[in-house]
Amino acid sequence: MSSAEFENIATLEDEFTESPEVTPERQVEMSAHDISIWFNKRKVLEGVNIEFPKRTVTALIGPSGCGKSTFLRTLNRLHELIPGAALAGEIRYEGKDIYAPEVDPVLIRLAIGMVFQKPNPFPSMTIRGNVLAGLKLSGMKRPNHDDIVEETLTAAGLWTEVKDRLNHEAGSLSGGQQQRLVIARALAVNPHVLLMDEPCSALDPASTLKVEETIRQLSKDITIIIVTHNMQQAVRVADYTAFFLAAEGEPGHIVEQGPTTDIFGNPQDQRTLDYVNGRFG
Amino acid sequence: MTTTLFDNSRVSELRLQQAALPWRRRTANFRVAVAIAVIVPPVIVGLLWFLTSIPKPILMLVIYLPLQLIASAIAAWSQRGTKAVLDSAIIVCAIGATIFSFVILISVLWSIVSNGVHALSWAFLFQNNVYISPSTPLGYGGVGNAILGTIMVVVIASLFAVPLGIATAVYITEVRGKAVPYVRFLVQAMSGVPSVVAGLFILTVFILTGVLQSSGFAAGLAYAILMLPTVARTAEEVLKLIPDDLRTGALALGSTRARVVMKVVLPAAKTGLITAAILGIARVVGETAPLLLTALSNDQTVLNPFNQPITALPAYIFSNVAQPYPDAVTRAWGAALVLVILVAILFTITRVLTAKRVRR
Ligand SMILES: Nc1ncnc2c1ncn2[C@@H]1O[C@H](COP(=O)(O)OP(=O)(O)OP(=O)(O)O)[C@@H](O)[C@H]1O
Ligand SMILES: [Mg+2]
Repeated sequence: MSSAEFENIATLEDEFTESPEVTPERQVEMSAHDISIWFNKRKVLEGVNIEFPKRTVTALIGPSGCGKSTFLRTLNRLHELIPGAALAGEIRYEGKDIYAPEVDPVLIRLAIGMVFQKPNPFPSMTIRGNVLAGLKLSGMKRPNHDDIVEETLTAAGLWTEVKDRLNHEAGSLSGGQQQRLVIARALAVNPHVLLMDEPCSALDPASTLKVEETIRQLSKDITIIIVTHNMQQAVRVADYTAFFLAAEGEPGHIVEQGPTTDIFGNPQDQRTLDYVNGRFG
Repeated sequence: MTTTLFDNSRVSELRLQQAALPWRRRTANFRVAVAIAVIVPPVIVGLLWFLTSIPKPILMLVIYLPLQLIASAIAAWSQRGTKAVLDSAIIVCAIGATIFSFVILISVLWSIVSNGVHALSWAFLFQNNVYISPSTPLGYGGVGNAILGTIMVVVIASLFAVPLGIATAVYITEVRGKAVPYVRFLVQAMSGVPSVVAGLFILTVFILTGVLQSSGFAAGLAYAILMLPTVARTAEEVLKLIPDDLRTGALALGSTRARVVMKVVLPAAKTGLITAAILGIARVVGETAPLLLTALSNDQTVLNPFNQPITALPAYIFSNVAQPYPDAVTRAWGAALVLVILVAILFTITRVLTAKRVRR
């Protein structure tokens, strides 16, 4: 990967922040404090407390329907767009409450990018247009668009497949290619945090590995929070893991969280042990 | 390259296998039954058609339809038992209804073409109606001014109705404000407004008060009132089809709501929005009453939409069709044919434009 751009950011940020190796206690980029989430009257998540240290990968795992996607969407204020959605608690980004009244959600979403469960390229735009869509939509100015396109598509593992047809419509790509395209699109606006909701569920093993490599590479510069159903993937990419669970008819919560090696190697809770060994969920 | 993977002999082998699939095969018996059911009733009715003097509609409805139903029912029953009888009846009725509406459509088109084609000539298309009276023979004068008039009025109406209609749809589907139910109700109510009322509205509010003259512009406003609900409702349906994933995707990139609409939703819906505009135009292009109230008529070619009355095709047809001179009536048919052709051209152009966008 031509990572000149990313190294650039890294050196830039190093001027302002201590590098992770120096401090024993890693700096916290985002944190959730006593978060509960409702859809209308129905509470789907309760009492979630978690910290996401800077430049780390955190995996959120847990059975289907336990509220992982919903939680992820509260981290960049997408949850509030659903009619009837409500939230209690506090989400902090760089120490500040992102739901404070004076905060502009548009800027939060620009700094905290997201890749969705289903690929959603913009059908009216070309492949190149999709990669650069974030710049156009947010009004962000970055020079050298050609370089951005090549870098982000390379990072997403799509460059060699599309470099000769950048001006074709995005709809002409396969589902897996579309997913890698939207990963590139999310990277083009230089997010500080990247939320990924099962980014590899539509990908073949080769592109999955490619994307995982990209995640590892990116985590040198940015904070990544990834939802995954793939245990091996969590082990491969994540520094930390949080296990979500919702009992029948009750809101979901975090059963256990900590370094990935602990969650998978030495879980404290029987339910975690069962889940990571594929015994339920 | 990968072409070596495909061996032609394998492919034809596969085809053979497919042809031999048991559920594909139909017995000779079955074919005979179908052939009898399809051939016998038409032959009987064909004989009656030429040899007797039974009125044709009665022949078709009272004799042919029951005969066909019975024949198909028997054929179906002989092959697949009683359950198939209802099946066959439904199929016969569906085919019958399709043919019926098709025949009506074709006969309308045919009457326009056969009556109007005599009037067509270059002079008819390009000359105006000055010095022409209803008794003037064909070959002199034409609808050139009325074609221009129709185009002018429709363009003016579109300039108002298309942006307003799309804006209304955007309010309903994108802004999702508190007033959505009321706006929707209003649009629905508006689509029930008779065209003569739209004309009267412009006449009393703008023309009789001296704000506007009877002109192409006034007629365009009246057309716009009629066009707006069609455009708004079609555009709403189109925008509803755009998946929410695209909107959240754009928002997640740090986009404002306005940019989501302008740069993602509307471009993604472009084809459908063009269709909405076309449907709106098709809705109004033949309306006569608003023209008579707001544009009056004018035998001359008019290019200024503001200062004088104009004639558009429906008004031309209206004023000629009731004349006691056969040539005037033929001219009316000719104008109707021109109107149909104009609409057909419009539809074809958009079909070509939109099809291209989909393929690329
Ligand atoms: N828009 C919505 N309206 C109402 N309820 C919702 C909505 N979205 C999600 N839910 C409910 O919230 C709960 C959590 O859903 P969520 O999508 O967060 O699960 P998940 O953990 O991401 O599951 P999966 O692994 O299958 O993606 C579910 O019970 C779901 O039914
Ligand atoms: Mg999910």
